[in-house]
Amino acid sequence: MVLIVGGEGSGKRSFVKSLGYTQADLADGVLDGRPVVFHLERMVFQNPDGIDSLLPELEGKAAVLCNEVGSGVIPVDRDERLGREAVGRLCIQLAQRAGCVVRMVCGIPTVIKGQLP
Amino acid sequence: MILLTGGSACGKSSYAEGLCMAFPGPRYYLAAMRPAGEGGMEKIARHRAMRAGKGFETIERYTGYDHLKLPRRGTALLECICNLTANEMFDERGNITDPVRPVLDGVEALERQCDRLIVITNDVGSGGGDYEPAVREYVRALGEINAALARRASHVYELMCGIPLVLKGELLK
Repeated sequence: MVLIVGGEGSGKRSFVKSLGYTQADLADGVLDGRPVVFHLERMVFQNPDGIDSLLPELEGKAAVLCNEVGSGVIPVDRDERLGREAVGRLCIQLAQRAGCVVRMVCGIPTVIKGQLP
Repeated sequence: MILLTGGSACGKSSYAEGLCMAFPGPRYYLAAMRPAGEGGMEKIARHRAMRAGKGFETIERYTGYDHLKLPRRGTALLECICNLTANEMFDERGNITDPVRPVLDGVEALERQCDRLIVITNDVGSGGGDYEPAVREYVRALGEINAALARRASHVYELMCGIPLVLKGELLK
């Protein structure tokens, strides 16, 4: 599994398509038969307590795309705060299991773990 | 000094503790977070559980690190500059003080008293910008403090998904 993280609009989906995946391969925040899932952060925000149950299926994906949501001033709102912490913790667990982790900045991929498949 | 930065829940604390374990004791955990509010208590409880059994002596101090005397030389972990900056900047009565000098003086005083100082901060400037003036001033001051600390530090790492990215120095662990 390749984990691709980066800010909103940083080029994560364009990059995963450059690896050979098409739009039809990309699932928007749902776990189904498609090999790539994006908007992982939205799935986590819907159920921040359920991150452990997402792990097994995410591990089996070809690529998982997640917005970096942990930057900026820590929100006062409890749900927002717990949501972004849950995203961070899930990404740490995914990164440990991923063969490759890519960070996107300005559309430029930087491999921060492993090698691209 | 080793400076660790990154967003919320990016693995800074657990990485910092792993670094501390690689250095000789005594190990001091310098807690700058005020135990106030629900979020604060949750975070403190999680960090305490993470440190349990690792031989840290915890010293809670919210401001004025330039007056802190560490019992012995050793390894110290200061967590975190974002809380310390807020504590130095805002008091209970709503007064605002420029936090830059107090925070930097505090860190310099700590550096003189230990063999290894590990400092955790947070990149709060990479989020939304639509904050009230006092918060904008806090973000600006913290950015200035982070840059000053990075100039002093021998090593600066950014944590991303638990992975250390080297911004200065070499990877120690």
